[in-house]
Amino acid sequence: MTERRPQRLSPLTPLVRSFIVLVAAGTTVVRDVTQGEIGPTAMLFALLLFAGGVYGAVSWLRTTFWIEADELRVDTGVLSRQSRRIRIDRLQGIDIVQPFVARLLGLAELRMDVAGGHAREGSLAYLPLGEARRLKDLLLARRDELGASRQARQPGELAAHPAGAGTAASGAAPRVAGAAAPTGFPAATVPLERPLAKVDLSTLLLSIVLSGETVALVLVSLGMAAVLVAGGQLVGFSAFLPVLLGFGVAMFRKFSGNYGFTVSETPAGMQVSRGLFDLNVQTIALPRVQGVVVSEPLPWRALGWARLDVSIAGYGSAADNEGPAPSTVLPVGDRRLVHELARHVLRGLDPEAVELRPVPHRARWAAPVTHRFLSVGTDEHLVVSREGWFSRRTHAAPQPRIQSVRLTQGPWQRRLGLADVHVDSPPGPTTVRARHRDAAEARRLFGLEVAMTSWARRNRP
Amino acid sequence: MDDLFAPPGNSWRPVSPQLRRLRRTMLLACVVAALVALAVVDVVLSLPVGVTIALAVVLLLLAGFGWWVIGRNAANWGYAERDADLYIKHGALFRELIAVPYGRMQFVDITAGPLEQMYGIASVRLHTASPRTNARIPGLPAEEASWLRDRLTELGESQAAGL
Repeated sequence: MTERRPQRLSPLTPLVRSFIVLVAAGTTVVRDVTQGEIGPTAMLFALLLFAGGVYGAVSWLRTTFWIEADELRVDTGVLSRQSRRIRIDRLQGIDIVQPFVARLLGLAELRMDVAGGHAREGSLAYLPLGEARRLKDLLLARRDELGASRQARQPGELAAHPAGAGTAASGAAPRVAGAAAPTGFPAATVPLERPLAKVDLSTLLLSIVLSGETVALVLVSLGMAAVLVAGGQLVGFSAFLPVLLGFGVAMFRKFSGNYGFTVSETPAGMQVSRGLFDLNVQTIALPRVQGVVVSEPLPWRALGWARLDVSIAGYGSAADNEGPAPSTVLPVGDRRLVHELARHVLRGLDPEAVELRPVPHRARWAAPVTHRFLSVGTDEHLVVSREGWFSRRTHAAPQPRIQSVRLTQGPWQRRLGLADVHVDSPPGPTTVRARHRDAAEARRLFGLEVAMTSWARRNRP
Repeated sequence: MDDLFAPPGNSWRPVSPQLRRLRRTMLLACVVAALVALAVVDVVLSLPVGVTIALAVVLLLLAGFGWWVIGRNAANWGYAERDADLYIKHGALFRELIAVPYGRMQFVDITAGPLEQMYGIASVRLHTASPRTNARIPGLPAEEASWLRDRLTELGESQAAGL
């Protein structure tokens, strides 16, 4: 099997890694040379460039990776050597990321999400895009194969099943028979992708124009204009410009991050790909989904649009600080499509089928505006809550995923005979909570949730 | 409103009275330090007598309020073990009741700072995969804390569920 030989990353890797430095140094040197003299700065830069080039080349030469038994091994390091082993059976998902420069050169980074590990722990940068895709499919197929063989493993079957035996401590060195594994490259062919949803350009643009940020921007602009008119001068305008610029940048990042947003179904899970400059391909393993959030900002409701986010175990709420959150499954779409995707992500459970009950009328003294939008409901599979006037959000969490349940009551709520019930999920956008319920109902709901979550955990499919 | 935070079984197991003593002692230490600081400021700046007395009275009133709050708060901590989960309740003004299923616990810590050790108490904290699970029992007698930790760990292992 060719994959067992140590392989190298793309030789263009150092170029992508130090692109900014290269451009800066290169322009300095070129400028100095064209001016006819090579100054000390240019000399220094040229020297640095040369040293960096040598370092990059050596680093590339000494970075190899290969698959051995059930591990992906990565050797790196110019002076001090590091050997990293990533257990394939513990891979949770693999993302393909293409920063802008890498994308220009047709390269991609493979980011491996390992259970309990940090994001940076498993990363291969950079590979040609085709090879990255092939390796991803190969690794995921190998993982499934390992998982299946582990489940089906019998003592007598061990010798006949090299894939399963690779996990044993006996070592895989003499196991030449491994090459004869019947499932060599099962998924190395074209992956089975079934498209589920795609965000078209006009919808994306309109959704950004109609977002809460724009409303805030308009309000701020009106306020500023009023101040300017009242003051009769343009003194404040220069202070206003950075705010405007900030809004513009935020909106553009939203646009570039969600450009070409495509959701499809693959054997490894749901695949989300997006990005104008930096292409991001992420695979969501459905068994790791901890809950969903459907948000409907006020301006979208007239158009019947909504947005879908999911909580994924291990991703957290701010896993990367660039562009939109990694938890978004659909940044904008028709309500029906969003609910269909939500059902898909929850593997058939339907948040819309859960009947939601409103809060008692006296809750208006605790939440004057929003009490009309607070509601909650449960059934044996899901707990669902809804809140928010401007941005209406419906949170849903599967009962077996609940970590703990809390009942809280402040002094003002005590006067009114109200209480809150919080359902705690792992970090992510989903926060199911029943605010301002009648106190007796809240205690009942609390007891019900505690009983339901333990029942659901025991009777899990 | 007592039935809202009623115990799931017979009664709540309270925390040690040492917690109240520890907190009240710390409060007294702070009050004494503040009074000394006030006296120093008084001498250095030679404040009018009226101002000094007013400040001292305010300080003592705050201390009295703190004394009362500490008593109420310590009396409101409690926990109860059930078959599949642990209940914890706390708070006097803002009350909270937490249920943590044993199968969801990732680990249990015991912490005891130097002052807590002097009073022979420790806090037990339960961690789940959600950071919002704020399940802490402060001021347990040291041996009860380690007994509870061992018991919870054991129950957690026997009922463990993956994510």
